[in-house]
Amino acid sequence: MSFTGAAVVDGLMSLIQPLFRLLCVLSLVLASSGSGLHGCNNSVSHEYCVLGAGPAGLQMGYFLSRSQRDYIILERNTGPGSFFHRYPRHRKLISINKIYTGRRNKEFNLRHDWNSLLSDRSDLLFQRISRELYPNADDFPRYLSMFESELGLKVKYGADIGRIKASDFNGSQGYVLTDQNGVSYQCSVLLVSTGLWVPQQVDFLGSDLVEGYESIPTDPEEFKDQAVLILGKGNSAFETAQSILGRASRIHLYSPSPVRLAWQTHYVGDLRAINNELLDTYQLKSLDGLVEGRLEDIAIVRREKDGGKRRTAKKRSQTSTEGKGQLYLTLTELLDNQNGNNISKVTGQNLPGYHTDNFSLRQPYDRVIRCLGFRFNFSIFDGSAQPPQSSGARGRLPGVTAWYEGRGTPNLFVLGTAAHSLDYRMSAGGFVHGFRYTVRAVHKILEQRYHNIAWPATKLPISQLQSWILRRVNEASGPYQMFGVLGDIILLRGSYCEYLEEFPLQALPQLFALSGRPLSDHGLLVLVMQYGLNRTDTLGPGRAESEWTKAWRSNFLHPVLYYYNTLPTEKDMRQRPVGWPLPRPDAVHHMVEDFLTEWDQPISHSQPLRRFLEHCLQTDLRAFYAESCFLLSLTSRTPPLFCRQGYLRKQGIVGNGHLWQHAREAGLMADHQGDITPRDETSVSEYLKHAGAAVVSTMNFDL
Amino acid sequence: MCIVYLIAFLFSLTAEQCFSKLIEDSSQSFMERMSTGKTSFVYFGNHVNPTIKLFMEQLEMSADALEDYGISVVKVNCSKDAIANYCTEEKLMTKAYLFRGSEVLRNFDIDTVFDVNAIVSHVLFSVLFNEVRYVHTPAELLRVETAAKQNSDIVVGHIPVLGLPEHRALMEAAFVYGTKYQFVQTTGSLVLKHMGVVDSSSSQARLWFLHCKGVSRQSDPCPSTPMTKPLNTINIHTFLQLMEAPLVTEAMLDPSEVDVVHMHLGVPVLYLFSQPQTQHLDQATAQTLALQLRGEVGVVLIHRNSPNVKTPLKYNAAYRLPQEDVKYFTLNSGEEVVKLFKEELLQEHKLEDEEEDEEHWSDPDILDDEVSESVYRDRDLMLDLESVVELTSDTFQTTVTQNGITVVLFYFKWDAVCMAFIQSYTEVADALEGVNGVQLAAVNCGEWTDICSDQNVTSFPTVLIYRPMSAAQLYRGMLGTKSLHRFILLSLVSSPTHLSSSAEVKSFLEGDVYSKHVYLTPVRVLGLFSSTHDKGVTSFEEAGRLLRGETILGLFAHKEAEQWVEGLSVNLPALLVSHGPGVPYEVYSLPSSSPTDHVALIQRVELDHFPELTVENLPWYLELGKPLLLLFIGKEDSTESTKALAEIKQPLSSGQLDSFLPCWIHLGRTPVGRSILDKYLGFVPPLPALVMSRLKTGGEVFLFPPERPLMAKNVLQWIHDVENRQEQPAGLIPDGKWGPPVPFFDFLAIMDQEAPTYAAQRGPKTKTGRREDHREQKHVTPNQRQTSHTSQNPQAPRQHSEL
Repeated sequence: MSFTGAAVVDGLMSLIQPLFRLLCVLSLVLASSGSGLHGCNNSVSHEYCVLGAGPAGLQMGYFLSRSQRDYIILERNTGPGSFFHRYPRHRKLISINKIYTGRRNKEFNLRHDWNSLLSDRSDLLFQRISRELYPNADDFPRYLSMFESELGLKVKYGADIGRIKASDFNGSQGYVLTDQNGVSYQCSVLLVSTGLWVPQQVDFLGSDLVEGYESIPTDPEEFKDQAVLILGKGNSAFETAQSILGRASRIHLYSPSPVRLAWQTHYVGDLRAINNELLDTYQLKSLDGLVEGRLEDIAIVRREKDGGKRRTAKKRSQTSTEGKGQLYLTLTELLDNQNGNNISKVTGQNLPGYHTDNFSLRQPYDRVIRCLGFRFNFSIFDGSAQPPQSSGARGRLPGVTAWYEGRGTPNLFVLGTAAHSLDYRMSAGGFVHGFRYTVRAVHKILEQRYHNIAWPATKLPISQLQSWILRRVNEASGPYQMFGVLGDIILLRGSYCEYLEEFPLQALPQLFALSGRPLSDHGLLVLVMQYGLNRTDTLGPGRAESEWTKAWRSNFLHPVLYYYNTLPTEKDMRQRPVGWPLPRPDAVHHMVEDFLTEWDQPISHSQPLRRFLEHCLQTDLRAFYAESCFLLSLTSRTPPLFCRQGYLRKQGIVGNGHLWQHAREAGLMADHQGDITPRDETSVSEYLKHAGAAVVSTMNFDL
Repeated sequence: MCIVYLIAFLFSLTAEQCFSKLIEDSSQSFMERMSTGKTSFVYFGNHVNPTIKLFMEQLEMSADALEDYGISVVKVNCSKDAIANYCTEEKLMTKAYLFRGSEVLRNFDIDTVFDVNAIVSHVLFSVLFNEVRYVHTPAELLRVETAAKQNSDIVVGHIPVLGLPEHRALMEAAFVYGTKYQFVQTTGSLVLKHMGVVDSSSSQARLWFLHCKGVSRQSDPCPSTPMTKPLNTINIHTFLQLMEAPLVTEAMLDPSEVDVVHMHLGVPVLYLFSQPQTQHLDQATAQTLALQLRGEVGVVLIHRNSPNVKTPLKYNAAYRLPQEDVKYFTLNSGEEVVKLFKEELLQEHKLEDEEEDEEHWSDPDILDDEVSESVYRDRDLMLDLESVVELTSDTFQTTVTQNGITVVLFYFKWDAVCMAFIQSYTEVADALEGVNGVQLAAVNCGEWTDICSDQNVTSFPTVLIYRPMSAAQLYRGMLGTKSLHRFILLSLVSSPTHLSSSAEVKSFLEGDVYSKHVYLTPVRVLGLFSSTHDKGVTSFEEAGRLLRGETILGLFAHKEAEQWVEGLSVNLPALLVSHGPGVPYEVYSLPSSSPTDHVALIQRVELDHFPELTVENLPWYLELGKPLLLLFIGKEDSTESTKALAEIKQPLSSGQLDSFLPCWIHLGRTPVGRSILDKYLGFVPPLPALVMSRLKTGGEVFLFPPERPLMAKNVLQWIHDVENRQEQPAGLIPDGKWGPPVPFFDFLAIMDQEAPTYAAQRGPKTKTGRREDHREQKHVTPNQRQTSHTSQNPQAPRQHSEL
């Protein structure tokens, strides 16, 4: 599920918040005075407190409930996912709900279902609520309600946490949360899934004249024949523009960076094609447009009708909004050295058009709308409990470690959209279809850290490793959605290996501490899905690679395997090559991108993968028929691995005469019919037939 | 003279094929022939089928070829002239005979002498039996060398496959040069290693010339020269000529005027110029170079002091390739010249050959996995799963509870091993169609991943057996048609079979009940308990359930059970094993233990004491970890084979072979046995052959001397000798590691080459920021607003650009 700057808590509630806070302060005073009558001095204690019943909170609730942990989800509204009651304002989710994939593989289908949460109930999918590719936003809270009630998750609604402070619980840091009624929750582990819901604002002169995305009218009629300036070029800005495209006279979008198109950057937070109609009207010169510039430099000023030296604009003034005067974009440096409050005295000289006659934004606007996204609500945290602001994303997000624990706030984890700082503008961690997997990963880390339950691992004989990797590559949704962020780890242990799914890659140096799985001296493999260099035109020629030997130049999502002899250190991780999810490995293997995302072909996918694994494991991984294993078992003291792990365990693959004949004709299986090898004509022609067929298929249909 | 003979012979090959030299004999002319004492190759036939027709054509061609060696090729039509012994022979049609006079030198299967090359090579080899030495081991070769030293040179031919043109070429050469050189033929890889061939796996024929005649002392080894060109008549002839040519020819002429035999043989010549003052040194250099280049390049030493030599002084060497002009150059060192020839001038043709060979498997787009490749070759075939039900999430539960037995295969479409097995699986399904209560089904785990996870399937392919009301049973046998088919049918037999009277026990062991399932297995295992209340009964019953499909297990818990162990040194509870009617029962005591221990015991006692090893049963026997006493018997069930089997079986009961696993391989049923023999010994000895293979301990292989009669006492003596280190191993089983068969495709190396910084770790100073847009970070945050930059940028409006 993606919605730029998504938040969990309803924006309106922010208005009521001070009131609650006041109440709580009152109740705290009462409580400290020793009165036991008031409800506020209750104290509840839980091992896990989940803050916010949005998608991330419920997702974590599900995992905690499944592992039968003592947990509570605290939500100040009366139902889950209240953010979605208001946002997106124009009520269309842009997260893909693709029901028909032509496949019945449930894991695979999650690759194309961006709204469902994870559970072991295969019927708890979003498609039960809506069958629209881009569903209505009201459907999402409905889905969350269904998810919560059918799984019986413990949510306490109407608990508005106003204050969080750190506290010492038996030597480890815990958290005390206080709600509007003064009830305090003692939490050993705090899981913050409050989302992002505080509208992001930029302070400039005249910002009070600007309407916010959170409160603009959504009826296009209200924009009839109006000139509109929108600050921002993200999905909310374009969504707003798109809704009024048929009514507004002129729409300009203004922000520092140029538009980034999701289909070019592969980042779903960038402008999605579903919202981009304005690009059309801009490029076809239908009076709309995009402009780049710094937000901090601008000022929005109102010029009253009688405020300037007006002589010729009478006609126009009649069409403008009812006598309030129009809004101009200007620059702080052009205003007289007075402070911004004095904008009623704006003259022509204060406007850029006076100095540069063809200035793009010289015409006045009826409305200026701010669509700059949302930020994390830091205000409820006491100093000791407050995670720092992230270095990226304009400080809008809390800073977290590679395993989603707040930096400097032990035992406080950030989940969901708020945890996007780790993969901001890179992957899908800020969106439901991504963070449902990171939540699962965090839960596994919790299980290890607090309950000593190691990260689940499948033990596989090495002879099964290749097919297991191919299985994951062809169906796994976690690494596919959280490309470059979550990856499968394969701990090599000689004749067998342990397969760990969806580990946060940035935390690889802490693998043992976080997963409880030690590394052996056989090294490890990491399977990551990633996009490529992306240096070519997204729709231009040469964008697709079909030659497996050039797989590292693949632009589209494709599997990459990294092999390390020893675990990379934190330093290795910091100094990793630019744009790489992991440090330089001892060997790397790219599986060539596939137009159908089916990596299952023998020549282009399987065999190169096998040879890479053979290199990493330093062993022959070829499969042999029982007859070959028979020969090798009697004539070699250590037969190949496949024979040792199959045939010699009485599980040989016998085959039949038809297959043996193929293998013999290919020269791969010995012919034992005596010391004479008769070559008959038919076998040769058979061979040629096959050889001919192999030559045909080098055409590239992906261009 | 030899040349003339050879050329004449070659002409005969090409020109004289139009009229046949094949003689048809009547009984009278055959008798006459017998009395002449001449050598003849005779085929007796009575009718013609397509195979025989092809053979007759080849025979006809061989008549022309063998005529040159004074051997007549004859056919006798037995339907017209029934010649005693030969026309009445059982193997008539499939045999041909080589006579010298009336004596049969050898007989051949026509499979062996399948074409003209095979006929000529085998016939000549038989005729030259005394001239051409056949060796298998380096030791034998050394003996031949010792005998030849200071006497004659040796030509050693390594012929991996008999009857091919290379073999014929060697035999023809032996016929021509046999009096001049000692010819040696070998087929084994041991000699190959001895001759310094590193990659002994290639089946290329090779030839060496051992210069034994010129050896000055008996203790010196014979220097050898390998022939680098492919083995054919012309090349062998050329090579032998070169071996005869003087090592260094000295001349007083300009290079273009020197006439050496090498030029006529199409071999490059190297010319070295000698100054009078350094003559001895130059001669030594020429000798060294000539030795290194022997057989490939001729060396001529030209003395500059002759006025006929006009080559400018700045050159000290020259070479001339066949059909080319002399090229002059300046030589700095001997190695340089060797390198020049070996790596450049002589490589042209060889490179091409090698590339073909090498590239075949290193071509990344050719599958080198026998299972993948054979499945891939079937890619145009639609998978016919008609008799197998494809299960889905919706049908899985109902199907596996519906039938008496539901066999379910879990597979991936893209896994070659699964797809190879699925062919066997459908064969089983077809064979079992109509068997009541058995349903074969399959789950495609690529699609129904949830079923496969729910059923805890982590290995592919997996076969599970479902019965209503009981947990799924994992099929642990061979993934092949025969094994699975047998397993499913055996699964229908209740396990254990509860027997309630001695009569039923009798029937179970050798009566009606026995014969009902005898086609599945001859072995019966019976648990004997004195009463149903015996504590061990439940454990035994559980073991029975675990072994269902693998063993036919009976349970007799009755007071009469005592009778069955009467007189045997075992008390109840006991395990009675029958390997079929007529074979004495074996009895083991059955201590009370866990079901899995019972399973292990039963599996162990079921094993044969003198098994025929087959592809499907070997793992059970290898598990014992004993050295193998392995008897190889031929395709034809001859009396010799039967006798050999009986001889080995004889000491079994006395326990003298207990530290071994005596076993046998029938090359007809298990043809791969031939390759085993070949790998063990480097050749295939006459059958039956007895081999001791110490697979787990040291890897030595010993061959029971073929000349000794294969009799129990000789075998025991031989084993004794082997154990006392009095026998030499005939081969060694390698303990090589199975490393990657092909080097992997190193993407990192390619990245480093094509985009040097792409895969490089950053230096410590580089900022640690991820791929975020740094431009954003540079912007001042609203709270930290700065006004100073205004003045820096007076043209501010321009800053707002429409991109």
